[in-house]
Amino acid sequence: MSSNDIPGPDSETALRVKALESLLLEKGLIETSAIDELIDMFENRLGPWNGAKVVARAWTDPDYKDRLLQNGTAAIAEMGFEAVQGEEMVVVENTAEVHNLVVCTLCSCFPWATLGLPPVWYKSAPFRARAARDPRGVLDEFGTQIGADTELRVWDSNAEVRYMVLPERPVRTEGLNAEALAELVTRDSMIGVSKVASPD
Amino acid sequence: MRTVDLEVVRSLYKLPGAVRMKLDVVPKFKPGDRVKARNIHTSGHTRLPRYARDKVGIIQLDHGVFHLPDARVSGQGDQPQHLYSVRFSARELWGAEAPCKDSINIDLWENYLDSV
Repeated sequence: MSSNDIPGPDSETALRVKALESLLLEKGLIETSAIDELIDMFENRLGPWNGAKVVARAWTDPDYKDRLLQNGTAAIAEMGFEAVQGEEMVVVENTAEVHNLVVCTLCSCFPWATLGLPPVWYKSAPFRARAARDPRGVLDEFGTQIGADTELRVWDSNAEVRYMVLPERPVRTEGLNAEALAELVTRDSMIGVSKVASPD
Repeated sequence: MRTVDLEVVRSLYKLPGAVRMKLDVVPKFKPGDRVKARNIHTSGHTRLPRYARDKVGIIQLDHGVFHLPDARVSGQGDQPQHLYSVRFSARELWGAEAPCKDSINIDLWENYLDSV
């Protein structure tokens, strides 16, 4: 056991959260079971693995892909992912000609039902400003190459609609089924800051 | 005040939180129309981003009818109206040096837009 394994004191944030939780419980404003349910929801049920299943199905089922691009909300609900910031979904497709990138310039709106809670950088002022003003620079910093001829479309989810990118299916995946394909799909590829990599 | 229990939390997951209004409101614009975002500077809440104000774009999608957040948060009712995805070219927003094919789609309520 190294000294790194010895737990130190809780961080200031953790202590504050514990104090708030104690107060809410003591005053009878929330029940422990409700806290456990919320944590389970956001840790285990709402997350990018849901969106990955949607993407993998679209890659393997052309009729589903058509429905997804026509009416994202209904097609995603078919897979059982609805409500909680997924009530109004538009899915935009990345192709060789068009690359889509999603941002919320006003705050941090994000499709929780399919992608989970937004990453910290998505909520940061620099990302929100630069995804609008210099999206190619942002992609470059994420190590994402798109051609000068590629049309770049940024989607600002500044209102009630949540956007999700249908990334391009990578090469060398012809033999994979939907389940194996879903393993390749990342959260960032569904925001549009990166592409889905081919399997090793 | 009601205690937040398991039932309340589970209803969060199933209850649609969307604000789409099932109302038959005639849209003022249709896809393809050229519109200009109003140059308004409210001290209250708005979803019209500053960088789009006074800029010309093209209606891409009609998302349907939603309440106007600006009105609702200031106690002026729902003011239901169509919400559109409006495409602005990067050059319109950022000038001649921006890549010619790039664009930003912004969701804007009818109240934010004038015909061009």
